[in-house]
Amino acid sequence: MLELRGITAGYEPRRPVVRDASLTVAAGESVGLLGPSGCGKSTLARVAALLHRPDAGTVTLDGEPVRGWRHRAPREQRTAFGVVFQQPRMSADPRLRLHDLIAEPLRATGRRAEAPDRVRELAAATGLTADLLTRRPHEVSDGQLQRACLARALVLRPRWLVCDEMTAMLDASTTAALVAVVEDYRRETGAGLLAVGHDPVLLDRWCDRTVRWREVQEVQEAQQVQQVQASQKEALR
Amino acid sequence: MRGDRAIAAVTDATFRLHRGECLALIGESGCGKSVLASALLGLLPGNARTEGHAWLGSGEADEARLDLLAADERTLSRTVRGRRIGLIPQSPAAHLTPVRTVRSQLRETLRELTGRRDGEEAAAERAAFPADHLDRHPHQLSGGLAQRAATALALVGDAPLLLADEPTTGLDRELVDRTVDELRRQVDRGHTLLMITHDLAAAGRIADRVAVMYAGRIVEIADAEAFFGEPGPRHPYARGLLDALPERAFTPIPGMPPELGDLPAGCAFAPRCPRAADACATVPPLADGVACHHPRSDRA
Amino acid sequence: MADLAPPARRLPTGAISAALVAATVLAVVLVPLFVPLDEQAVDLGSKLRPPSWSHPFGTDEVGRDLLLRSVYGLRVSLLVGAVAALVATVIGTAVGALAGALGGWADRVVMRVVDLFSSVPHLLLGIFVVAMFRPGVGPVIASIAVTHWLSTARIVRAEMLSLRSRPFVDAAVSGGSSRLRIAVRHLLPGVLPQAGLAAVLMVPHAIWHESALSFLGLGLPTHQASLGNMVQAARGSLLAGDWWPTLFPGLFIIVPTLAVAALAAAWRERLSPRRRSELTL
Repeated sequence: MLELRGITAGYEPRRPVVRDASLTVAAGESVGLLGPSGCGKSTLARVAALLHRPDAGTVTLDGEPVRGWRHRAPREQRTAFGVVFQQPRMSADPRLRLHDLIAEPLRATGRRAEAPDRVRELAAATGLTADLLTRRPHEVSDGQLQRACLARALVLRPRWLVCDEMTAMLDASTTAALVAVVEDYRRETGAGLLAVGHDPVLLDRWCDRTVRWREVQEVQEAQQVQQVQASQKEALR
Repeated sequence: MRGDRAIAAVTDATFRLHRGECLALIGESGCGKSVLASALLGLLPGNARTEGHAWLGSGEADEARLDLLAADERTLSRTVRGRRIGLIPQSPAAHLTPVRTVRSQLRETLRELTGRRDGEEAAAERAAFPADHLDRHPHQLSGGLAQRAATALALVGDAPLLLADEPTTGLDRELVDRTVDELRRQVDRGHTLLMITHDLAAAGRIADRVAVMYAGRIVEIADAEAFFGEPGPRHPYARGLLDALPERAFTPIPGMPPELGDLPAGCAFAPRCPRAADACATVPPLADGVACHHPRSDRA
Repeated sequence: MADLAPPARRLPTGAISAALVAATVLAVVLVPLFVPLDEQAVDLGSKLRPPSWSHPFGTDEVGRDLLLRSVYGLRVSLLVGAVAALVATVIGTAVGALAGALGGWADRVVMRVVDLFSSVPHLLLGIFVVAMFRPGVGPVIASIAVTHWLSTARIVRAEMLSLRSRPFVDAAVSGGSSRLRIAVRHLLPGVLPQAGLAAVLMVPHAIWHESALSFLGLGLPTHQASLGNMVQAARGSLLAGDWWPTLFPGLFIIVPTLAVAALAAAWRERLSPRRRSELTL
């Protein structure tokens, strides 16, 4: 269970881009978060993936309250999430060959030995050929690079996937292919999914349920006034 | 790709664009469709080479008929761009000058193209750009309004042919719909529109006819209604593209598009094609609107 | 076949400047191997001779061959310039990387120190440093290095901060990478080309600084053949109408430094190939 309660978050003090947002994803569930661009849904996704510390609110991961974000989160918590972002060009270190890009999390966590097998497995799943694996990001297309980014997100076998506009830059066929890879992985491992996007048709087709950004912020208003006040106090602190 | 190799980004593209119609050129990114657009405007980089003709005009009898591929830069910049072809850019935010207001950019374009010193309001009005936003700078505009401002600039010279290169990239669904509806209004007013896009939904909403491009070649040209409705596309690639849509089968085409520098011999789609056979070892010509050895002719 | 726009013939400045730099380096390495220079030797019988076949650059006010002295002077100047630029770049990269990788208060403290250094005119600061020591190569290098790492630190820090906000760093965090691993594996390699470019761009500047310090009499010992010393010594004869002791060492300062600068410019163009208008597929 991934539970976000009363999240207020932003990048500048006193100018939150997310106010009092709440969202729950049950274990193994896939939830689509639908909203216009610039509404703050990506920020909420980064809070959920422990990549951005909120100004207020709580995140509960599998019953454990989250106490720290980014490097302040224990490694087991951080690596429980696989993340894929909108722009593959920005999400890949330009100097790493695709093989190293996918293997990097295994190397970073001292599991270098597993890398060759795991990369081969994921390359097959995402449709990357041996030739593509030897190239650097600028030598492949957006679609091919996003396949590698998805493989990297899956390499540590995360329990949760956060896909932030994963397919916004891609054509219809690549979109369908990547969604199929995600769903195969979830079927095999029972991982939960938070898919952020702006295309209702896609999210409705992909996810168990789709939540509108409006609803994410309204849930909080419907809850007890006390809790709202508490989180506002916290936000002001 | 670096090096001295010559890569054919577009091969044998032949199509006719009729006055007052919208043709959507669709295909995956990297299939060569933007290269084609740049070639038409003479905006290809210095190391590019072209062959063939791109006639702009109403027919062989038209005295003002011009081969865009043979025209020199002076002709293109003085008489074509903005005057006979209006370009609606991919990212309006990058196309507009950030330090000047929309009004001042419209005024400059008006003076340059029509010699008039007024008429900003009317020009803005034509692209449904609100007059009370004229004095804003591009960064103060939403994505949709920036797109309208860029469209207004493209319409100033009253160019009969409009060329829109991926005008909906990165926009939300609602904004995509609004943008293409506005472009459609321009077509209904008599403009001819060539829209280049990978967004099939947008193409289906606006186009009279559809041209599908794969690996640098046009593989199908069809009436949009037949293409998106019944009987549907005839080329297996086009059919696969539509089937990949989440509102349809949501199944991908197996494999990935080939690289333009490393095309398979014969039909470039054959390695991914469910209907591939021995005949596919040769490149199929575009005949009767489809370039395939096994086009789909019925609903089977 | 219709050529839309034939590729413009551009002067291959990169190749020309590379050849000049290579020739300069070869000259200062090879010449001293075959032709020794006696710093103290004077030949008052042939002083202030204009350029001739035996002395292509002429001779100075104590009869020394100006061509040989210019080559030796260039050697000293290049050595001082290159070492000073290297040291300044190492300091700047270290400081900038520290600020950029840590961010937060550490970044603010480091950048205030940089601002503090920047607020003093750097030639003045450099003079202050050399004035504390006896004239020599070491103090001159130190003086240039401590005054020239600031811009590199700023460039490296800005580049690190911009890389740090990229989603690939987020992906590395989720992939379990430590802070150190992110800095060493993802951020630092991304800024090294910029730092290298800054170092090359700094070499000409450092050479000018060396010449300026020597000209002011604060740089290298006056008997040592350095371009700054030579121009300084030639001032008197220039007033008397003898132009060659000023012109040739002066050209030896200007031409190689311009070549290095042009080479750096060509390198910068390679770093951002998108500026070139070429079709890349």
